[in-house]
Amino acid sequence: MKLATLRDRTPELIAGEWGLHPDRIPALEAFCALPFPDKKSETYRYADTQEIFDTERTRIIPQQGEVAPDPRRVVIVDGVVVSAPDGVAIAFEETDAATKGHFDPLYSLSHALSAPTIVLHPTEVDTLEIQHRYTQPDALLAYRIRIETTANTSVQVYESFFDAQATGSVILYGIDVRVARDATLRWIKNQTLGSTHSRVFASHYADVGENGTLDLSTYDFGSGQGLATLEVVLDAHAISSLHHLVYATEQARRGTVSRVIHRGHHSHSDQVAKNILRHDARGIFDALIKVEHSAPKTIAHQNNQAVLLDEGAYMASKPQLEIYIDDLEASHGSTTGQLDPKALFYLRSRGIGEEEAKKMLILAFANTLIDRIEDKVLREWIHQSFEAVYYGQSHVACLETCHGCEENALGAFSVNS
Amino acid sequence: MSILEIKNIKANIGEKNILKGLNLSLEKGKVHAIMGPNGAGKSTLSKTIVGHYDVDVTGGDILLRGESILEMEPEERALEGIFLSFQHPVEIPGVSNAYFLRTAVNAKRVHEGKEELNAAEFLREMKKTAETLGMKPEMISRSLNEGFSGGEKKRNEILQMQMLHPDVILLDEIDSGLDIDALRAVSEGINAMKDGERTFLVITHYSRILDYIEPDYIHVLKDGQIVHTGGPELVAQLEEKGYESIGAAG
Ligand SMILES: Nc1ncnc2c1ncn2[C@@H]1O[C@H](COP(=O)(O)OP(=O)(O)OP(=O)(O)O)[C@@H](O)[C@H]1O
Ligand SMILES: [Mg+2]
Repeated sequence: MKLATLRDRTPELIAGEWGLHPDRIPALEAFCALPFPDKKSETYRYADTQEIFDTERTRIIPQQGEVAPDPRRVVIVDGVVVSAPDGVAIAFEETDAATKGHFDPLYSLSHALSAPTIVLHPTEVDTLEIQHRYTQPDALLAYRIRIETTANTSVQVYESFFDAQATGSVILYGIDVRVARDATLRWIKNQTLGSTHSRVFASHYADVGENGTLDLSTYDFGSGQGLATLEVVLDAHAISSLHHLVYATEQARRGTVSRVIHRGHHSHSDQVAKNILRHDARGIFDALIKVEHSAPKTIAHQNNQAVLLDEGAYMASKPQLEIYIDDLEASHGSTTGQLDPKALFYLRSRGIGEEEAKKMLILAFANTLIDRIEDKVLREWIHQSFEAVYYGQSHVACLETCHGCEENALGAFSVNS
Repeated sequence: MSILEIKNIKANIGEKNILKGLNLSLEKGKVHAIMGPNGAGKSTLSKTIVGHYDVDVTGGDILLRGESILEMEPEERALEGIFLSFQHPVEIPGVSNAYFLRTAVNAKRVHEGKEELNAAEFLREMKKTAETLGMKPEMISRSLNEGFSGGEKKRNEILQMQMLHPDVILLDEIDSGLDIDALRAVSEGINAMKDGERTFLVITHYSRILDYIEPDYIHVLKDGQIVHTGGPELVAQLEEKGYESIGAAG
């Protein structure tokens, strides 16, 4: 199937051609109502969508089956949940629960194309580790996850991706999250994509209940293509704290397009993006904060920083504030430049060579976002992922050789046996 | 014997000529102090010696042990034994103080043909040194200078100086913004480095630090030139009568 065939079709036609259940029509309607995701669209103007849409791919329709016990993580192989730990309740929901009004057309499309939604409810664990594995080359895969939280609890979600075999595939996936009132969800995404890896388009939606907290940190590394879109809606006194680190090389296209909507009073959002771009890589940070009439006393801060290490590197940065009240505190800023010459000189004046000094500053820039992860093990994994790309090892080689990754590597490959 | 010889140096910052044919010879093992009005070019002189990118040298030469250093990269000058304690040390978030200093110390050791220190050996040494300077233990693991108070930054400069064992030490207003205890700790740190071999160039506005680290020579820098050189007795004269009392170049 070619995604380009979705252009200029009615929902009914698409449903017919793609063999979709009629209950997916509302999602298709939402998809058709938005501009087609290409260079001319708001959301995908900086992404490289042409090759993605015009290439013939085999559609994979995940068939959920038996879920094996797993000591620690939920493993999803090509959209199929193969194993999960005891303390996570799993359900598969046939009826589609797409949130109307998400700005991203691929959000609606992934809802339309996905088989049953995977519903994860961590009931007796405080860390939910989700490992996404893609094994099929040249495939088109769509699947969706929903995470439920319980009021007054605190849960940590850690997403990792293994896709070395899925060359040329396009993945449309995403998570819908409901952060219950007074609950906290810490969500960490660790994704290294190589140029021959799959292209991953994630589209997320988070609804943060009263007094709830969403704390999302995304770590996007490598030379591949991937974009995450995110819509966050905040109730009264809800908090959203979003942090994005991009280290992109070669022809990479990586980044985040987000909309944070302050709906409730006293809601609080902060968003920090740091991008390190090498070669001809392009980083994308296109982020809107919208403060509605119903959200007086809002606090909203947003900041994007990019360091361009080579002439060909480019940062597409578009921080935006849309405000309908004046009773708020808001700021946004964006800086793009080279490494701080003062800092570089300071290090060199102590005898540290220029190349080494640059490396230290780049690591430092990245570390400020990595070190905010409180969980020691997860933080170490992110450091390893970053350094594997930074020092030019392939991810798999790292898993095989690095002593510190052993545990990680065992987990990653145990599902094969 | 002179270890560092500054010969008729002319330097610009941007379009502006700051050092106007400055001559200064630092005698090995001695403590030299430079005093002079604001904007005279004292910091520019120290930046010129360490090869700061702000400074454009347009004439003259600087010799370290008889060899010109003007073509050397800043890191080479450091490895050759020059150390500048900055008037305003930069904050570098994300680089831990210990990691930074270990990298610097090991670069120096490799340059000297010594073995690198491992993390444990180094930390032991750094902790010990920090303690003698009255630094809180947490300053070792914190990001380099980030959120350090003025006094803490200056102590951290001295810590680096002590760990790097330089031969020529330039201290640019190491005493500014220090309380009495910090001034004493910093001065003691400097005095502990005095061994008759190391050479110091202390840039200051105040005589107080010179009570602690007794200088051998006082130089007055005005309008981009050393206009007067004398002994420690010059300090009292400057305190009393100001820079105006020092005559024209000579
Ligand atoms: N980066 C710069 N850009 C432009 N002018 C500069 C720069 N740095 C220094 N200057 C100018 O060069 C002159 C000398 O400055 P310098 O910092 O060397 O003075 P100083 O003697 O150290 O003064 P102070 O006692 O105030 O520290 C001053 O007029 C200053 O404004
Ligand atoms: Mg100065």
